[in-house]
This record gives sequence, structure tokens and C-alpha cells, in this order.
Amino acid sequence: MTGLVGRGVARVDGRAKVTGAARYAADHEIPGMLHGHLVLSTVARGEITELDTSAALALPGVVAVLTHRDLPPLRVPSFPYLKGFVPMQDTRVHHSGQPVAHVVAETPEQAREAANLVRVRYRAERPTAHLAHALDEAFLPPLFRDEPNEFVRGDAGAALEAAAVRVEQDYSSPMMHHNPIEPHSSTAVWDGNSLTLYESAQGIVFTRRVVSIAFDLPEANIRIISPYLGGGFGAKGPTWSHTLLNAAVAREVGRPVRVTLTRAQMYTMNGHRAEYRRNLRLGATREGRLTAIVDTSTAQLTRTDHGVYNTSESTLRLYDCPNVHVRQLGVRLDLPSSSYMRSPETTAHFGLETALDELAHELGVDPVELRIRNHASADPHSGEPYSSKHLLDCYRIAARAFGWARRDPRPGSMRDGNVRVGWGMATETHTFSAIQSNVELTVDVDGRATLRAATQEIGTGTYTVITQVAADELGMPLEHVTTLLGDTAYPDAALSAASATVASVIGPVSQAAQDARKAVIALAVADPRSPLHGVPAEDVVAERGYLFARGDRGRRDSYRGALARHGRPVIVTGSRLNSSGHSYGAVFVEVRFDPRLATLRVSRVVTAYDPGRVLNHRTAHGQVIGGVTWGIGFALMEHTMVDPHTARVVNPNLSTYLVPVSADTPSVESFFVDRPDKGSTALGARGFGETPGTGVPAAIGNAIFHATGRRLRDVPFTRDKLL
Amino acid sequence: MRVTIEVNGERRTADDVWPGESLLYVLRERLGLPGAKNACEQGECGSCTVYLDDTPVCACLVAAGQAEGRSVRTVEGLAGGDGLDPVQEAFVATGAVQCGFCTPGLIVAAHELVHRDPGATDAEIREALAGNLCRCTGYEKILDAVRLAAAKKAGERA
Repeated sequence: MTGLVGRGVARVDGRAKVTGAARYAADHEIPGMLHGHLVLSTVARGEITELDTSAALALPGVVAVLTHRDLPPLRVPSFPYLKGFVPMQDTRVHHSGQPVAHVVAETPEQAREAANLVRVRYRAERPTAHLAHALDEAFLPPLFRDEPNEFVRGDAGAALEAAAVRVEQDYSSPMMHHNPIEPHSSTAVWDGNSLTLYESAQGIVFTRRVVSIAFDLPEANIRIISPYLGGGFGAKGPTWSHTLLNAAVAREVGRPVRVTLTRAQMYTMNGHRAEYRRNLRLGATREGRLTAIVDTSTAQLTRTDHGVYNTSESTLRLYDCPNVHVRQLGVRLDLPSSSYMRSPETTAHFGLETALDELAHELGVDPVELRIRNHASADPHSGEPYSSKHLLDCYRIAARAFGWARRDPRPGSMRDGNVRVGWGMATETHTFSAIQSNVELTVDVDGRATLRAATQEIGTGTYTVITQVAADELGMPLEHVTTLLGDTAYPDAALSAASATVASVIGPVSQAAQDARKAVIALAVADPRSPLHGVPAEDVVAERGYLFARGDRGRRDSYRGALARHGRPVIVTGSRLNSSGHSYGAVFVEVRFDPRLATLRVSRVVTAYDPGRVLNHRTAHGQVIGGVTWGIGFALMEHTMVDPHTARVVNPNLSTYLVPVSADTPSVESFFVDRPDKGSTALGARGFGETPGTGVPAAIGNAIFHATGRRLRDVPFTRDKLL
Repeated sequence: MRVTIEVNGERRTADDVWPGESLLYVLRERLGLPGAKNACEQGECGSCTVYLDDTPVCACLVAAGQAEGRSVRTVEGLAGGDGLDPVQEAFVATGAVQCGFCTPGLIVAAHELVHRDPGATDAEIREALAGNLCRCTGYEKILDAVRLAAAKKAGERA
């Protein structure tokens, strides 16, 4: 170990990204490639009655216009294909913006112009687009991915009845869209019965499985390539219909085809955070000990699938409350399928952390103190002890850095001239997953190492952290290790979603690098030509690419020397399955509200986290700032508006779907407890990416209450709600 | 139509350009320069930012014909040879890059800002870059990168 792990080393992929050399899905040059453009439905519910492609086909450059009449049958794949149907298989329309035709032309501009000329007529039925119009149809959906939608612990009803203090409120959040800056792109290249896809994918191994099922093709015949991804945030975790349709179309026309979604198409083609209503009832003692939580949420579903993606994990497990009843209801609407979107548990957590602030105010207890009094030192639902949890340290560290002790708890009491200042806080937490992962590590005859894994870099720093860990365990300089990701030709490894990558991949990387180091040392000590010949293998240390006898640094070999004499590469593999779990933290927020103009600014954010061991402080801090910025978007601006009569998205663009820009964000201070979780095989690191930001919407709302005395429970907290 | 543009110091010609094509399309699809990215097609996100003569523009909003006879500089042409421009170096050094997709556009926008006003205040930097959307970084490290590159630039001038 040479101390690379933990250091904030610069990104190994930084140079490729700042020079424009990094190749994203739509950047790969494919000889003979055609361009596809999807025609999407303009009604939300009904039947296609007429489809006229003649004008489109007549345009120069147009090669084909395919519809449900032309495509071969495709099987509906299982998870992570989230839709209950494959479009363009029949005439039924399930939502607005559903593919009904796929135009293929020599250039993208020709394909797009032709797409405008495809005439489609529908027999339209009246859609339902909002929860408010169908709440009486709410039902408890069946199991989803083997998980129930109802959880009971103790007797929450009775405990609530008996509680000395109760808070009961409704919290709501609208449809939101991921909006990665890179639009989804898929390029299909067939060679006989084999398919290569250049794909914007957060999980190439999963994409291969979905495509394999849809086309009834062995996985061995399918290769998915995705060396760089321009952001996913969950939108590119599932495989969506455009990938399947484009591959089918490429097979029909007998040439490679690329389809890239337009920004507007990304509002109906690749999932969203569902609209939510949540009724929360908390019961507590006068001392602020929670005695009951009843959490009844209602999510938008569709008529073709029933996945609930924003689970109520935090109401179920975060606090030490003996009586909990969680129900995750759904309502079927005529909308596209929802899906996972960065930090799905934020939806429930926003309600819980706001309700706790209301309880703290009701009881006259400090909000931090209330959380400490309800801290869970073992998993409250399973009773299992935590392998490591330092949430109490997070409250203490962040509160001190923020200056929380100076807070006057009376709403409206803190002012700066005409501006009202509010301080709010919340716990931050999210689940992380662990996925069986495998890697292959080659030490080549030049003494350099190459690590291959079919996971992918989605922006979080996977190339860098893997390279750091491998170099550290090998005892090589960072620049002697090359990490290759984003190709299913490499060993199967984790999906980059659910904060799973580091937790899943680092164990196998570490194991492979240790094994490779031992294998090379074994070669050296057994080789009469090596200066280390005869030294016991356990007495050889590796540093900066050299191998030394411990205590006698004059006896020195190197990876390069040992491998050159060996004459062929050393190849090892690593394989592990880690445990899933939770990461924790605390966020403190200051807002400044000008009542004359009803303008609100988030002026200061201080955070502290327990993600287990921090493998790279720079990339970890990057996740914090990014996550907090998502929290600001969730709290103050993000809102997909759906027309109630047509069920169409009316703001499918970045001009009217607002995301935070540089002028909206404050600086974010972050601290890490940085103690290894001995329960994690990833060198003590837990999954972390989705934890930062989960508490931010509630912390902002709580700060607004502190500044103004007004309690907001419906995000986004736009100016009209502050007037 | 034929369009002739000086791109990154080199005279480049594209034939059979459709009048409706954007400069971004010509750069990416005809001239083999995929550095500038296509992301919103309405000038909202800034991912396609390039210099047109000395002005940063959203290449998705510039018709190819408007670039006729003019000079264009993309992220691929900011540094000479194999080196990095100080702005590119600063983005790597400060951790201003995450997924990297908005990065080429942001680097051109930051490059212009640093050369035009190396003494820009934090508020001015935030405002100047408000037309470049980034969904990963939360912007703070991008500000650090601009400050670092600007300090270097100011040092050169002194």
C-alpha cells in the first residue's frame, strides 16, 4: 500500500474530457451508419387508426420508415426494462410521446425532417394525468422485484392514538425529469446474428440482458460499449424502448443505425420521478421520543406497469420508533412509466424530515436534539446491529461548523436588514446496493497493469478510484495502471446506479491487485536471475513499481524486470459480492428571504457524512456538491408540468424545466467522519453517491419556516408559494 | 451548398451542406470534431459552445452558412499540440470535471471569460457561466477552475 487510497488524486480521465477526446455514445464514428429519428404519439390513450409514411419515404436520403406493421415481434424484457410493453408492436397507445414510427435516413437532419411528414391518426380516449383526479382509485400494488409495498412494525394505529403529541400532514412532490446533459443515444451494428450497441448506459451488463431477452439472442452474441457517459442520474440505468426499436430497425435495413433522442423526447422516453402525495402521521412523547409513524404515500403508476421506485426507506428504518406502518399506494394514470431518479428515497425523506421539524417546533425541542433522541443504534426494523454508523458525529461536526448553537429558534427572529434569515437542518441518508462484480487484471511484459471490468464511468470517478485502489495494492505509480470500463467484453460488473459501483467493484479490484502482486513477487523470488531470488515472498514489498526485500532495499527488482524475464503477462481475476446498506450524514442550510420581492436564496450549506472509508476525497466532495445542488433543484425549481386534458408534458425543454445554474448555488462545505465500515469488502467504503442531497429539500423548507413562519409542504417552493 | 470555415487554424471545406444545418452539425458530423456536444438544440445548455471568430456562441444556434469564411475554435483546438491550455489544466486540477459532457462547452466559455476579464468577481463568474448547464458538479469546482486559470493569466500579465 503506497497511500494512494483516500487521497484526492486528480481524475485519470480528466485529460480526455477537457480536450474533447472522450468518446460518448453519439461520438463514435461507424462506417456506413444511418441515422434514425423516432415519431412519437401525440395522444396519451387510444388506438392508431391510420399511419401514412408515403411523404416521409419520398424525401431524399430516407431509407426506411418502420412502424408496427413492419417490425418483427419483440419479447417484453424483464427488469431493468421497466415498461410493461414494447412500443411499435401493435396499434395501442399507452401514453403521450410513445414511439409509433422510426424513420431511417442518410443524415440525422433528413431523418428528422421525414419524421415530421409521417401522418398518424388516432382514435383518442380521454386520459387521466394527475393524482388529484384519481386518488379514489389508489391501491396497494403487488410485489415489485420481490419487495412488498406494505410494512408493519408494532401497532402504529394504537400507538398514534395513545401518543401525547401528534403531527399529521400531507406532503407532495411533482413529476421531475433526470435531464442528464447527454441525451440518450444508441447505435446498433449487426454482423449476422451478432449485435454491437454503442450505448449511453449506466449498466452495460443489464442492457445486454434486456436486449438478449427482447431479441431472443444469446448474451454471447451481444456486445454493449459505453466508455463514457454524459450523466445518467437513473435515466440510463434501465434500458428503454428506443434501444430495442433501433436495434430492430438496424436489422431490418441491414446497416448500422444511430438514434439520439431530442431533449423533448427525453421527457416521455426514459422515465421520471413520479408525482407523489404522502400523508404522514407522527406520534411522540412530550420528551420527543417517536412512538408511531404512519406513512401512506400515493405514487403515479401506469396502466401497463406498477413499479414503485421511491420507496419509504427512511420512514421505515431511519429512526428508532417501535411502531411503524408504511403503505406505498399507487394510482394508474395515462403517463409514461416512472423510474429511479437520483436519490429516489428523497421523496419520502422530504416528508419525514419536514414532519420532524414540525414536531420539534411543537415540542419546543431543538431539531438536532430531536433527531439525537430518536437515533437508531441498531436497524429498527430488523433489529440487526450496524457494522458501523457515525451519524451522531455528523450532527455534531456539521452543527458546530455551521454555528447552529447561535440559532434563535423563534421563526422570523433572525434578520439582516430587510432580509429574513432562516436556518434549517435535516438528516441525510440513502440506501446503497451491492452487486456481484468481477474484474480482470493483467500485468503485461512491460510491467504495466491493465484492469478490465464491465462496469462504467458515469461521471462519479469510477476510472479514477479503481485505478487508485489497483495501483495502491499493486505498489505501482498511478500512471502505470490503466483501467478499461464500459465494454461487455470485460468481466461482468456492477450497474452504476443505486450508489452501487464503489461498494460492488472495489472489493474485486483490491483482491485482483493483491493477487497480481503476490503472483509477480512469487515469480521474482523463484527466479535465479532476480536480485530477490530466495527472499521469502512475504518479505518482499512493492512500491512505485519496484519490488524490495524488506529491511534490505539494496535487493531490488521491479514489475518490469520480473515480467520481462517471465516473457508473458500475468493475468488474475477478482470476484466479490459486498453487502448493501445505508450511508448517513447531516445537512444544515441557511436561506435568505426578501419579503418585498418574495425572493429566496440558499446562501450557505454545511454538511457532514459517514460513508465509511473515503477512497478519494476529491470525488467524494464532488458527489456532495452535486447532490446538494440536486436537492436545491428538488426544493426550489424542478417540476414537469403535465396538461390535465391531454396528458402531455408542456415544458419538455431546459428553458422551462428549470435546473440549478451556477448563479443559483451557494458554496457547500463538507466534512467526512472517514472511518472504515468493517462490514464492507470495498476497503471499508460504503456506497455514497445518492446520500448527499436527500435531506436538502426538507432542510430548505425548514429554513424557510424559520425565516418566515410559513410551513411549505409541496415542492417546488416557488415564489408564488412564498408571496 | 459548400461551406468553407477556418477550424482550429485549418481551412476546412464541407460540401453538399443543407441550408438548414447547424454549425454544430457540420463540426460533429462532417468535420470529425465531436468535442462540442449536442444536448438541447435550443441554446439553453451551452454544451456546444465554440468560438466564432472571437465570440463564444452556441454552435447549435448558428447556421452553417453563417460561419462561411469565418474562423471557429473548438475545445479540440484550444491548446497547441499535445499540451493543455491553462483553463483545461485548471479544470482537471480543481476537480471541475465529472461526467465531462458539459465540459467542452464550459471550457470554451471559461476560456473566453478568463481572457476577457481575469479579475472577474465570484458573482460575475457565476453570472457569466449561468448559460452553461452542468448536472453533475454543482458548479463550485468550476468556479475554482476559473479562479485558478484567471490567477495564472493575471500572473502572466503582471
